[in-house]
Amino acid sequence: MKDLAIGVSGINAVDNPGPGVGVARSLKEAEDLNARIIGLAYDAMEPGIYMDWVVDRSFIMPYPSGDGAAYFDRLAFIRDQQGLDVLIPNLDAELPLYLKRVGELKDMGIATFLPSMEQFKLRGKDKLAEVAERMDIKLPKTKVCTSLDQLIAAVDELGLPVMVKGSFYKAYAAYTTTQAVSHFHALVAEWGYPVIVQSIVSGEELNVIGVGDGAGGSLGIVGIKKISVTALGKIWTGVTIKHRPMLDAANRFIRELKWRGPFELECIVKGDDVYLIEINPRFPAWVYFATGVGVNLPARLVRHALGVDQPLAPDYEAGKLFVRYSYELVTDMVKFQQAVTRGEVG
Amino acid sequence: MKRPYEKPVINKLRSGLMNKFGWSPAYARKVRTAIDGVSVDELCGQFGSPLFVYSERTARRTYRQMFNAFSTRYPNVEFGWSYKTNYLQAICALMHQEGSIAEVVSAMEYDKARLLGIPGEKIIFNGPHKPMAALEKAVVEGAVVNVDNLDEIVDLETVAKKLNRTVHVGMRLNLDAGIYPQWSRFGFNLESGQALDAAKRIARGGRLKLNGLHCHIGTFIMDPQAYAREITKMVKFGYELREAFGFEMESYDIGGGFPSKSRLKGVYLPPEVAIPGIDEFAEAITHAFSEALKPGDFPKLIIESGRAVIDEAGYLITSIVAAKRLADGTRAYVADGGVNLLFTAFWYKFNVELDREVGGINETSVIYGPLCMNIDAIDEGIQLPPLKRGTRLIFSPVGAYNNTQWLQFIEYRPNVVLVTESGEVEIIREAEDITDIQRRERLPKHLELKNGK
Amino acid sequence: MNRLSQLALSDEGFVFDPQTGDSFQVSETGMAVLRALKEGRSDEETAQQLVADFEVSLEEARRDCTDFRGQLKNFGLA
Repeated sequence: MKDLAIGVSGINAVDNPGPGVGVARSLKEAEDLNARIIGLAYDAMEPGIYMDWVVDRSFIMPYPSGDGAAYFDRLAFIRDQQGLDVLIPNLDAELPLYLKRVGELKDMGIATFLPSMEQFKLRGKDKLAEVAERMDIKLPKTKVCTSLDQLIAAVDELGLPVMVKGSFYKAYAAYTTTQAVSHFHALVAEWGYPVIVQSIVSGEELNVIGVGDGAGGSLGIVGIKKISVTALGKIWTGVTIKHRPMLDAANRFIRELKWRGPFELECIVKGDDVYLIEINPRFPAWVYFATGVGVNLPARLVRHALGVDQPLAPDYEAGKLFVRYSYELVTDMVKFQQAVTRGEVG
Repeated sequence: MKRPYEKPVINKLRSGLMNKFGWSPAYARKVRTAIDGVSVDELCGQFGSPLFVYSERTARRTYRQMFNAFSTRYPNVEFGWSYKTNYLQAICALMHQEGSIAEVVSAMEYDKARLLGIPGEKIIFNGPHKPMAALEKAVVEGAVVNVDNLDEIVDLETVAKKLNRTVHVGMRLNLDAGIYPQWSRFGFNLESGQALDAAKRIARGGRLKLNGLHCHIGTFIMDPQAYAREITKMVKFGYELREAFGFEMESYDIGGGFPSKSRLKGVYLPPEVAIPGIDEFAEAITHAFSEALKPGDFPKLIIESGRAVIDEAGYLITSIVAAKRLADGTRAYVADGGVNLLFTAFWYKFNVELDREVGGINETSVIYGPLCMNIDAIDEGIQLPPLKRGTRLIFSPVGAYNNTQWLQFIEYRPNVVLVTESGEVEIIREAEDITDIQRRERLPKHLELKNGK
Repeated sequence: MNRLSQLALSDEGFVFDPQTGDSFQVSETGMAVLRALKEGRSDEETAQQLVADFEVSLEEARRDCTDFRGQLKNFGLA
C-alpha cells in the first residue's frame, strides 16, 4: 500500500488523556498501512505534537465550537498541503460537527468511519433504556428528569444512594436527597436538561472496546477490567477478560444497532447479569490496550473504511496486563514556537 | 514603501489557550461590508448609527422555507405571526403578505393588527390578560379567542349573554412535553384534570363552545420530539372532548418556540450543529399529528411563527465610540448601542462582524454599550483585533424580540430600515427625538422653572 | 535594570522571557515597538519610527505606543 496520511485528533496525552496518541501508535504498528500521522491539536501544549515518533506532523485546529466553515477550511488546507486520506476524530466535542458534515468530508476525498447521527444520539443517557433493551441486557433503574419535582420523586422511588448524571457528560453519586438536588442544579447549569437519576448497582466495572462495520458485523472487540484508576477515574492498570455475557451483549450491540465505527461500552457486571452504564461513540483513551493484545482496531477501521480486504477479527487472550506509566521528553522551544506562531509543527 | 499598519499587540501565552486560531485573523474574524448588497457605510451615512437593518429577502425566504416544511407534510396548515416577536408594522405586514394571520397577546397588539387592516377572524387572541372591552371587541369581530383561565370563561359567558349568541372559543392548555421549565402558568393543566374540569364548566354554562386547542410548551425548544409529545397529548384530549361534550376540534394550535440560529450563552456547539433544522421539527410534528388523528380527520394545524422566521433577517449596526483598557489589561470597547437596543444580549452570544478588514493579532475583548450601567455588556469575551474608533460592529441575528423589548432608558432609539427585495432602503421606524420622550408628559404649573431657577 | 533587554525576540513574533519563563505572541508592529524600546528609544521616537515604516498617522502611533507600554507594564515587562 502507498503511504497513507491519517488525521488523528485528541493527541492530548495528559493526565486525562485523549485517545489520539493510542490511535496513532496503533496505526504506526500496522506496517501494511505505511501510516503518516497528521496530528490535529487544539493547544500548542498537547504532548502528541512533541512525540515525533508517533505523530509525524501536527496542526493546530480552530475549535470545533467555532464556525464549522473555519474548521473545514483548515482541513482542506491540511489535505492540500499534506494529503489526508483518512480522518479519525477522537473527541466527543468534535463528533457533532463531523457527523453533520460527513458528506462534505467525502467530497473532499477524506475517508471516515463514524456512527450515523441517529446512532450518535443513542448514547444520550435518556436513550440508554432503548439501547439496553435492544442489547438484551439490564439497565440500572433509571429516571429521566426535567424538573426538580421529578428528581425528588425519582430519588424517593429509586432509594438512596443514586447516581445523578448529565445527559452526555458527568456523573455524581448522591447519598442524600440534598446532595442529589445540588448535583442536579450543577448538571443543569452546565449541560442543561434532562438529568438522569440511576440506582447504584454494585458489581465489577467492566468495559468493552470495539468497532462495528455498520452492517451488523464486528471488526473486533476486546473486554477489559480496570484494576486501578487515577484520581480522575482514568485507567492506570487493567487486565483483559472474557466475560461471555458481556461480550455477547457487545456483539448484539453491533448487530442490532448496526453500529458503525468505534465504540466503548461501560458496564457493571454482577454474576451473569450485565448492566449498561454508558456508551462512548469513539475509541477510549486506552485503545492501545487492544492493539497490544493483537486486536489493532484503529488499523482495522482504516482498512475497512478504505475497502481493503482483511482477515476476520483476531481473538485475544484473557489475563494480559495493561500498565500505563509516565515518561518525559525534553525538546527545544522551537517546536512550541512553531505551534504558536505557525500553527504547524513537524 | 510603507507597510500597512495594524495596532501593536502582545499576548501572553497561557496553557490551555495556546491556540493560534483563537487569535488568527483568517479564522476568527468576520467581515461584513454590506447587507443584501447595500453597503454598511452607505446605510450609516444616510441613516446614522446605531441602525437596525432588516433584510426583506431573508425574512420572506425563511418564512417560505418554514411554511413549506409544514404545508408539504400536512394539508391544512396556518401560520399565526407572533406579534410580540416583532410588531413593527412593516414586519407584520410582510408576514401577512406571506399569508400569515395575526397572533396577539394583548389589547395593544390586537389594536395593532386591526389598524394594519387585519380582520378579526384573522386574529388569534392569546395571553393571560384580556380586558373585558378587548374581549368583547374580539368576540364581536370574530377573532379566535383562546381561554387562559376560569375567570376568563366567566367573562366570555358574560359577553355571549350580552350578544345573545353562542361563542366559539379555544382553550389554552399546559402539559408535560418533557420540557423544563414547564409553562404551567398559562392555560389549564392537562395531566391534573384541570383542563377537563374547565371543559365541563364550559359545557355546563351552555353559552360557549370549544372548537380549538392551543398550547405553547416554551421558548427556544431544541428537541423536535417535545412537539410530537405535545400534539399527541392535545389530539387525544380533543377526542376526549368530542366524546364527553360533543365539542368538535377544528384547529390545533401548537404555539411557537422554535429556535433560530442564535447562539445561546453557555451552549458549546455552534447553532448550525446544535439546532435541528426546521424540517426535523416539521417532520416530528406532522408525523405525530397524523398518527394521533383518526382517519379522515384533518383539523387545522396552527403554528405560531416568530423567532425562527424573523431573527436572522435582523442586524444591528453599531459604531465604536471609544477603546479602553480595563485595570486587568483587558481590551474594552464602547459601542453606541448596547443592551438598551439588544435585549436578547442577556441570553445570546451574537455573531459579531466588522465592517472592514483589520489586521493584527486578536485579543480577548469586551464590548460595552452606551449605558452608565454595569449590565450593559454585549459580549464579555470576544476575540477581536485592535480596533479603531469609528469601526463598525454588526450584530446578528437580532430580528426577534429586540424591537419589542428595547429600552428607551437614557438614549434615543435609532432608525430601523428595511432593505427591500429590489435593493431599496426604506425607513420602517424613524429615530426618536426629544419630542417622543416628552410628548405624554405634563409639567404642573408650580414646577415650571423660570430662567432655569 | 531594563527587563526588556533580556527578552528573546524571534522574527515570527514569538517572545520568550528567560527570567520568568513566560512566552508571548506579538504582532508585527508590536515587535517594531518592542525592538525600539529595547534599544532605549523614547515613546516619541518609537512613534515616529512607526510613522516612517507603516501607513499610520503620528497621532494614532503615539496613542498606540502609550497603549502598548501599558500592556508591557501589565505583563510586568516594563
